Amino acid sequence: MQTGKRAARLWLRQQTRLGQRAARPAVLLGIAGVAAAVAQAWCAAGVLEAAIGGQGSPAALLAGFAVLALLRAGLSVLAEQAAFRAGAAARRRLRTDALHRLLAAGPAMLRGQHSGELTTTVVDRIEALDGLFARYIPAALLAVIGPALIVAVLLTVDSTAALILAGCGMLVPVAMALSGLGAAAASRGQFAALARLQARFLDRVRGIATIVMLGRAADETAALGRAAEELRRRTMRVLRVAFLSSAALDLAAALALIVLALRAFGHGDGAAVAPGTALFEVLLVPEFFAPLRVFAAAYQDRMQAIGASAPLAELPPAPPEVEPLPVRNVAARGVTVAFEDVRFTWDAARGPALNGLSFKVPAGETLVLAGPSGAGKSTVMEILLGFVRPESGQVTLNGADIATLVPQALSKLTAWIGQRPVLFAGSIRDNIRFARPEASDNEVEDAARFARVDAFAAMLPLGLDTQVGEGGYGLSGGQVQRVAIARAFLKNAPLLLLDEPTAHLDPATEAEVLESLKRLTIGRTVILASHSAAAHAFGGRRLDLRDGAGVLARGVA
Amino acid sequence: MTPLWRILALWRGRAVWLLLGVVVSLAALACAVMLMTLSGGLVAGLAAGAALAAPFALRVLGPLRVVLRYLERLTTHDATFRALADLRVWFFRGLAASSAGGLGFRRAGDVLARLVNDIEALDGIYLRVLVPLAGAVLLLPVLAVAIGGVDPLAAVAVVLLFAASAFLLPLVSARAAAGMGERLSTAGSALRVACLDALHGLREVRAFSAEGRMLAAVQAQESGLLGAQHELARRGAVASALAFLCAQAGIWVVLLAAGAHPAQAALLVLLAVAAFEAVSGLPRAGVSLGQAADAARRVLEAAEAKPAVPDPAPGGPLPKGSALRFEAVSFAWMADRPAVFDGLTLDIPQGARVALLGPSGAGKSTLAALALKVAAPQAGRVLLGGVDIATLPAAEVRARIGWLSQATHLFDDTVRGNLLLARPDADDAALWAALDAAQLGEVVRALPDRLETWVGEAGARLSGGQGRRLALARALLSTAPVLIFDEPCAGLDAETERAFLATLNQVAEGRTVVLIAHRLTGVERLDRIYRLSAGRAVAAAG
Repeated sequence: MQTGKRAARLWLRQQTRLGQRAARPAVLLGIAGVAAAVAQAWCAAGVLEAAIGGQGSPAALLAGFAVLALLRAGLSVLAEQAAFRAGAAARRRLRTDALHRLLAAGPAMLRGQHSGELTTTVVDRIEALDGLFARYIPAALLAVIGPALIVAVLLTVDSTAALILAGCGMLVPVAMALSGLGAAAASRGQFAALARLQARFLDRVRGIATIVMLGRAADETAALGRAAEELRRRTMRVLRVAFLSSAALDLAAALALIVLALRAFGHGDGAAVAPGTALFEVLLVPEFFAPLRVFAAAYQDRMQAIGASAPLAELPPAPPEVEPLPVRNVAARGVTVAFEDVRFTWDAARGPALNGLSFKVPAGETLVLAGPSGAGKSTVMEILLGFVRPESGQVTLNGADIATLVPQALSKLTAWIGQRPVLFAGSIRDNIRFARPEASDNEVEDAARFARVDAFAAMLPLGLDTQVGEGGYGLSGGQVQRVAIARAFLKNAPLLLLDEPTAHLDPATEAEVLESLKRLTIGRTVILASHSAAAHAFGGRRLDLRDGAGVLARGVA
Repeated sequence: MTPLWRILALWRGRAVWLLLGVVVSLAALACAVMLMTLSGGLVAGLAAGAALAAPFALRVLGPLRVVLRYLERLTTHDATFRALADLRVWFFRGLAASSAGGLGFRRAGDVLARLVNDIEALDGIYLRVLVPLAGAVLLLPVLAVAIGGVDPLAAVAVVLLFAASAFLLPLVSARAAAGMGERLSTAGSALRVACLDALHGLREVRAFSAEGRMLAAVQAQESGLLGAQHELARRGAVASALAFLCAQAGIWVVLLAAGAHPAQAALLVLLAVAAFEAVSGLPRAGVSLGQAADAARRVLEAAEAKPAVPDPAPGGPLPKGSALRFEAVSFAWMADRPAVFDGLTLDIPQGARVALLGPSGAGKSTLAALALKVAAPQAGRVLLGGVDIATLPAAEVRARIGWLSQATHLFDDTVRGNLLLARPDADDAALWAALDAAQLGEVVRALPDRLETWVGEAGARLSGGQGRRLALARALLSTAPVLIFDEPCAGLDAETERAFLATLNQVAEGRTVVLIAHRLTGVERLDRIYRLSAGRAVAAAG
C-alpha cells in the first residue's frame, strides 16, 4: 500500500516535469497577457491623471487602452487553446503509452485484472488527468511568474509600493501554510469524500434492478439520503478550514488595496506619490492577485490527478525496444511442434502448471490434449501463442526455438480458437476480416461460407453487414464460434490451436461446430485441448495431461 | 430550458438555504465593489478633495469583505450539498418506481452510468449560474444610478454592455452548446468501446498480431473525442473573451467620459472594473448550462417515466402456495417488434426443479421479467399460487420470487452488506448458513476481515465464480419460495460453471427452482425440462 502510494507520487512528479515543458506556450501567452494588463493599467491611470489634472482625455492613451484590450482578449483565447493542446497532447501520450504496455504485457495480465477495470484506467483515469496538464501546471507556473513580473515593473516606478504588493503576495503562501498544512489535507479529504459519494450513488444506480427485485428501494433511498447528509456535515466541517486559505487570499488582496490607497491619501500634499502613480498601483492590485486566484481554483485539478494516478503508476512496464531481428521463416511446408522437458509455474503457491512436459506433433497431424481442468492444457496453448515463456526446457517449431521467433513471425504461423472468442464492435464481415485485414471481399465471403456463417447471417437484418460486438446484435455461442472458424480459415496458418472450442455449446451445436472444425484441420498441424467426449472423437493422437506432465494414450479414431 | 426549471423546482424545499447563500453572496459582492470604488475615490480624492470618512470606511470594509466572502463560500457550498442530496434521492426514488428499474434488468448499465453523469452536470447550476446571476441583477441598477448621476449617456452604454456580458452572452453560449453534450458522450463511449475491444479481446489481438490496428482504432476514436472537447473549449474561450471585451468597452466608455467629470472619474472606473469582474464567469457558465439542459431532460425522462406495470389497488387475495403458471401468455416488448411469446402455457409446480432451455432470443429472460412484473403480458395471465399476479402489488410478487442473473449486481460494500440486502434482519448464523450453502463459507472464513471484507466495485475483488456464489448466498438468504436463476453462469469458464451448477443441486431444498439456460451441462438435477421455441414451451425429456 505504502509503496503503491510512493510509486504514484513518483509517477506524478515525473509527469509534472513533462507537463511543465508542454505548458510553455500557455505560460508564455499568459505572461504576455500580464504584461498587456500592466500596460493597460498604465494607460488607464494616465487617462485618469489627465482628467483629474483638468487636461481632458488624451486620445493616444485611450486608443492604447482599446488596442491593449483587444490584444488581451486575443491572448486569452490563444492561451486557453494552448492549455487545451497541452492537456490533449498529454492524454494522447499517456493513453498510447498505457495501451502499448497493456498490449505488450499480453493476456497473462488479464488473469489478475478485469478488462473493464483496465478500460476505466485507460479512458476515465487518463481523462481525469487533463486538469493537471491543461490547468494546474500552467496556473502554478503563472502564479509565480505573473506577480513577480508586476512587482518588477512596479519597482521601476515606486519601490515602496512594489514591496508592499510583494509582501502581501508572500502572505498568501504563508497564511495557507499556517491555516494548516491542514487546508491542503482538508481539501484532499473533502475531495475524497465527494468522490466516495459519487461512486456509491453510481454503484446503487447500476444495481437498481437488484435493489428493486429485493424490495429494498425505499430503504436504499433513505440510506442514500442519510449518506448525502452525512457527507454534507463532514465536508462542511472540512471546508470551514479549507476556506481559510481562500480567505487568506482575500485578506492579502484587501490589505494590499487598502494600504496602497491609504498610503497615497496619507501623503497628502507631499509629492511622494503622484495621483497617476497611485491609481496605477491600485489598478494593478486585481491583476497581481488574478494568477493566484486561478491557481487556487486549479488546485482541485491536482487533487483529481492524485486520485487517478495510482492505477496508472501500476501499469506493467514498457516492453523493451525490439531489436530488428530478421524474421525467421520456419514454415517451409507444414509445422512440426515439439515440447522438450518444459516447465512453467503461474503461482509458486499452487505448484508448477507444467512439470517436464515433452511431446512431438509431426507436420499435418492432430494431437488431442486431454485431462482435467488445471492439468496444464491452457498453459501449453499460452506458450505456443507466445504469451508466456517456459521457465526451462525448449519448445520448437520446425526445430527453431520459439523464443527466437519475433511475435509477428509466430503469429503468422498460428491460428487460434478459444473457449469464448471475442467479437469486436463492427460488422460480422469486419470481424472475419480481422484475421487478415488485406483479404478481399471474395476471400471473406469464402471464409463465411466455409464456416457456415452465411447460413445464420442470411437470417439477420443486414446479413454479413449486421453490427455485432459491444452495443450490436447478440450472437449465440455457436454462432460466435463459427465466426472464429471463419477467421481461422481466412488466416490459413499451418498450425491450428484449439482451446476448448466447444466448452460452452449444447450437444447439437457442439457436433455441428466440431464438424466444421474438422474440415478446417485438413492439411494443418492441430493441437486441440478439450475434455469433451465428443471432441475426443476428433481423431489424431491423444495425450493425457496429469499434473503438468503427459501420458500418451493410444490414438482414438 | 423547461427541464432545467423543473430541476430548480425540486429545490423548493431548500429555498431558505439557497436564498441565504444568495443574500450573503450579494452582501460580499456589495462590500467588494464598495471597497474597490472607495479605494479609487480615495486615491483620486488626493487631488480632487475627498470625504474624510473614506479612510475609516476602507478599514471597516476590508475585513468585512474578507469575512463575508468566507461566509459566502460556506453558505453557498452548504446549500449546494443540500440540493445535491435532494437531487440524488429524488432521482433514485423515481428510477426505482418507474419502468427504468427494468433498465437494470436488461443490463443497460451504461445508460444508467450516463444518467449519473447527467446528474453531476446539474450540481453546479446553483453555485456557478444562479448566484452570479443574482449578483448581476443587483449590480445592474447600481451601475445605472451611479454612472447615470454623472453622465447619463455613458450610463446607457455601460448598462447595455453589462447586460450583454451578464445575460445575453450566457444565453447565446447556452444555446450554442446545446447538443455538444450529446456529441461529447457519443465520442466518449466510442473511445470506451475501442479500448474495451482491444483489452477484452487481448488474446485475439495478440494471436492475430493486431496490436497496431487496435492502437490505431483507439487513437482514431480518441481524436474524435479530443476534437469535440476542443470545440467546446474554443467556445468557452471565445465566450470568456467576449465577456472580457464587454467589460473593457465599459471601462473604456467611463474613461472616455472621465475628462468631463474629473471628480468622479477614478471612482467610476474602479466601480466598473469591480462590477464587470463579478459577472466575468457567466458566459462560460452558459456553455455548461447548455449541456446541463440536455442532461436535465434525460434525467427527468428517466426519473418520471411511467411504471411499465402499474400496481393494482391493494387488498386483493394473496397467493396460496407458490405454484407458478403461465396461461396462454402473449407478449412483445414493443408493438412493432415480433412477439416473444404467442400463447405460451407453462406449469411450474410448487417445489419443482425446472429448466427452461432455448437459444438466445427465444425469450428466456422475458419469462423472468413477466414473472417478476417488470413487464406485463398483452394477453393471457401469469398465476402465482392460483392468483393472477396482475392483481398483486409488485412488492408482494417479488417477496415470493427471488432472482439471480448475470445482471444481478454485487455492490461495492462488504460481504455482510451485500447479503443483508436480501434480509436486513438476518443474524450472523443465518449469513454463514447461506454462505456455506453456496459453498463460499470456507473462502470467506479464510479472509482476514471475514464478513466485513470489502467485495469491490461489482465484486471485482472476488473471482467470477466467487462473485456468483455470493449472489447465490444472497438469493438463498431471502425467504422467497420461488428462485429464478437466469443464465446464472454466463461469463464463467466451463469448469467454474459445472462447479456452480453442482452446488445449485444441493441448495434450495423445498423451494421451487427455475433454471433458465441455453443448454445443460449434464450436472443439473432437474424434475422437468422445457424447451422454448417459436414463442411456446415444449416439454423435453427429463
